[in-house]
Order: sequence, then C-alpha cells, then structure tokens
Amino acid sequence: MKHRMVVLVALVLAYGAVPLLLGSMDYVMSLIIAALTIGGVALAWALLGNLGGLVSFGHAAFFGVGAYTSAILVVDHHWPVLLAMVAGGVGAAVASVATMPALRLRGPYFALAILAYGHIFRILAVEATSLTGGAAGMLSIPGFPTLLGINLASKTGAYALILTIVLLFAWLYGLIRRSTYGLALRAMHDSELATRVVGVPSTHLKAAMLVISAFMTGVVGAFNAHQINFLDPEYAFASSWTVLPIAAAIFGGYRTVWGPVLGALVVFLVDQLVFKELMPSGHQLVFGVLLGGMVILGPHGLLPLLGRWSKKEASHAGA
Amino acid sequence: MLELDAITMRFGGLTALHAMSLSVAEGETLGLVGPNGAGKTTLFNVISGVYAPSGGTIRFGGQDVGALPQWKRARVGIGRTFQIPQPMRELTVRENLRVAQRFGAGKEDPAALDEILDLLGLAHKQHADAATSLALTEQKALEVGKALAVRPRLLMLDEVLGGLEMATKRTFARTLETVRARFGLTMVIIEHDIETIKALCPRVVVLNFGQLIADGTPEAVFNDPQVIRSYTGDTPA
Repeated sequence: MKHRMVVLVALVLAYGAVPLLLGSMDYVMSLIIAALTIGGVALAWALLGNLGGLVSFGHAAFFGVGAYTSAILVVDHHWPVLLAMVAGGVGAAVASVATMPALRLRGPYFALAILAYGHIFRILAVEATSLTGGAAGMLSIPGFPTLLGINLASKTGAYALILTIVLLFAWLYGLIRRSTYGLALRAMHDSELATRVVGVPSTHLKAAMLVISAFMTGVVGAFNAHQINFLDPEYAFASSWTVLPIAAAIFGGYRTVWGPVLGALVVFLVDQLVFKELMPSGHQLVFGVLLGGMVILGPHGLLPLLGRWSKKEASHAGA
Repeated sequence: MLELDAITMRFGGLTALHAMSLSVAEGETLGLVGPNGAGKTTLFNVISGVYAPSGGTIRFGGQDVGALPQWKRARVGIGRTFQIPQPMRELTVRENLRVAQRFGAGKEDPAALDEILDLLGLAHKQHADAATSLALTEQKALEVGKALAVRPRLLMLDEVLGGLEMATKRTFARTLETVRARFGLTMVIIEHDIETIKALCPRVVVLNFGQLIADGTPEAVFNDPQVIRSYTGDTPA
C-alpha cells in the first residue's frame, strides 16, 4: 500500500508538477529531456549488465541504428513518427543479432568486441550514402505529432513522451526481473556454471537480454532523432551515447531498476545546472571526481546508498 | 541407463581420461573412487557437458547425449553437484531450487520444493541468502537440493560429503539413501571415505591416471593389489 502511494505521488509529480512548474523554462526542460534520454539508454545498458551479466561498450551502435531506422522510415517512406520509433527499436534489435557472436566472449573481451561492432555500424552509416545521407547526415527529420490533443513536438510534450518511454521500459525491466527468468538471469551474473548445470540456457537468455536492451536503446535513439530533427553518423554513433549512460548507471546503481534513471537525472542535471555554471570549461572534471567518489564510497550506487540511509534513519527513529 | 564408450579427454598434452568405458544400470548406486588427479571429476564434467570429450560416446537412457549442451543434459535427467559448492549467489536457498526446478524440470511445483527442503533439512533456511548464510553442511545440502529440483534420473555427487565431520557425514549419507529411495534415483558418488562408500555403494569403480583399474563390490575392489598400489603411489606398469 505504502509502495503504491509512493509510485502514485511520483507519477503525479513527474507528469503534473514538472510540466506545471518548469514547462515555461525551455532550457531546463531541454536538459530534463536530455537527462531522460540518457536515462533510457542507461536503463537498457543496466538491464544487459544486471540481468545478462554483460558489460557493453557498444550501446551507441543500437542508439544510432534506432535513430537512423526511424528517420529513414519517416523521411523516405513517410511512416508515422511514433510507429517508426518502434521500428527503430526493432532495427536496433535486429542489429544486435549481428553482435551475437560476441556472446561467446566474456568480461572485457565482450565489451571490446561490441565496441568494435559500434564502430562498424558508424562506418556503415557513413558509407551507405544513398540511405543515410553519408557523413553529411539527414536534415529536417520530422518531429513528433500531436496525440490526444498533446503537441508532442513541444518541450512539455517531448518530456511526457520520453518519460512514458522510460517508465514503460522500467516496468518491463521490473517484470523480467521478478520472473523466474529474472531469477536465473540474476543468478547468472556471478554463478553462470551453477545455472547451466540445472538446465538454464544461459547463452539464450543473454541473447534475449541483448535483443531487449538493443530494442530499448533503439527506441530512445529514434526519440532523439525526431526531437533534434537532425542526424549524422558522428552524432548518432558518438561514444558519449555509451559512456554517459554507463556513468549514469554506475552512479545511480546499475543493479537496480531505477538507479540508472536516477543516476542520469542527477549526473546530467547537476553537471549542466551547477558545475557548468561554476566552471564553464572543464566542468566534466568535477563529475569525474564525483563518480570516482561514488565508486569508492558507495560502489553499489546512489539508490542502494539512499536505501541504506533511509533504513538507518528508520531504525534510529524506531529505537 | 548410462553407457560410456571409449571416452577420452585430453587437455593439450595431458590425457585425463583414456578410452574409458563404463555402464551404470538403472537404480544402481555406484561409487567412483581413486587418488587425487585420477580423472573422477573430469569424468563428471564430461558426462554433465562441462567438457566436450576428445573422443568416445555417451548414451543416457538409450539416447546419445554427447552433442547436447550442458543445460540440455540437465533437462534429460542428469543432475550433479560440485566438489566446491556452487550456489547461485544472488538468490535465496528457495530461489536456487526454484530456478533449478523451473529450468531443469520444466515447471514450478512448490510442494515438491517443500519436500526437498524438508528432506535435506533446509526448510528453516529457505529464505536465507545462499551465498552468505549457510554452514558447510547446508551448502552441501543445497548442492544436492538443486540437483534434485531438476528431477534427475541420474544424480552424480562429487565429494558431497567432503570436509564434513564424521558424525555429520554419517547423517548426510543416511539422508542421501533416503533421497535415493524416495526419488528412485540412479546415483554415482565420488567419495574418498571408504566406509561411506561401503555403506552406500554395492558397486565401486576405481580410476587411476584416467584409466578404470577396478570394478566390483567394495570388498573385492578395496582388496585389489592394483588399487592398493594406486593409493600408495606406484604408477601403473
């Protein structure tokens, strides 16, 4: 009951209070949208890391493929934007199938192999000029439509859309995590041999997590393409679409569902609204120190740290 | 039930199993003994699919299982434990069994899990963290529990009594006998304690340097001069 109330209050705040209080501040809304975009990728990355036990350095590839798939379908084939965004996710999921040989690798070898795949997709986007516009990119990508009277192309509308996407993905992640498949996947994180010997098809499950994670990242990439209305390979496949979500997920707590989203909001908004104001150049250094501090002081991330503090407070209050 | 024909396992220049052939009948409890490094665990790893053998065939229940991946061997009914317990570290005791049952046996059956937990004396620890809350005996019981949750026809126990005190070992051995009778299992047991082997296994095979050197009743095998030599350190001629 208490949990439901917390969720309800959070939803009211997210869908009501944020647009009402900040809706007129375009710059702040843009930052929140960007933070949620990173949060969406961080969530997808953490799903693969937490449930698949795989550390990916190549999520920029899925982001870029999703963005290009959706943009091409809308620009060249006149698909409705929202449907094309889902197709963007499917495109990224299909692209992830090409990376599956890397599932035979473990630890840093998988991470490096998937990084290489990311570069391959970027090169393909540059070379497939007739499809992608090559290095020059794609201009005037149509933005979001109006849905149920809400103009999704406005800052408030785009915010509501990315918020809904992230919430849906978090719900799906939670659903998987709570299932028996989720139990097996969590177990695989540290004890893969123990799971295989009792009949868990660990490679199949990892592959499924890779596809789901790629789908989520692709949808977020597609969202971004229609929000900024422009794409080029350097931007769409930029390493920052991998690095920032990883940093956000680790900062927030990558083994939790909400940690990566919280991490993205805190890391990006604090960096942009506070550190950037104080240190217009080199503000990322402060974030680096912050991330290092978090890894040392709370290696499980911000959300588990807050959970421990609130438990301590509750036990003090009860004493 | 289990037929191994000319199983060979090489690791680079080292041959851990030399063209080994062995049959285990349904309902049999077989003791597998031998000095350290004889190839006992390697044999378990080959049967359960951890290693792909360099040569030979493995038939289980009349089916050639040599090409099946490890997880499918569990699903056809081959359950095993590890010498060093391998709990699923993120999960509770009951969740460990749930995963084994869901994937190994194909469906969840809470009543069957309750029975396994009761038989192995783990009911009171079912919600405990499997990685941090169990004593050695309980860790070993969880190993057996996971293997049982798969609903195996063949249960392979790799030194599951190793490291336990003598009294605990005797109690645990009786539990294994109860489990075998309750689930109608065929069992292969790797164990160094000769008294335990004698108590549990009507038939014993001895491995040395990857070769089967004796096969028979415990009395016959443990009085075999070749077996005695293998333990006293003489290499085979």
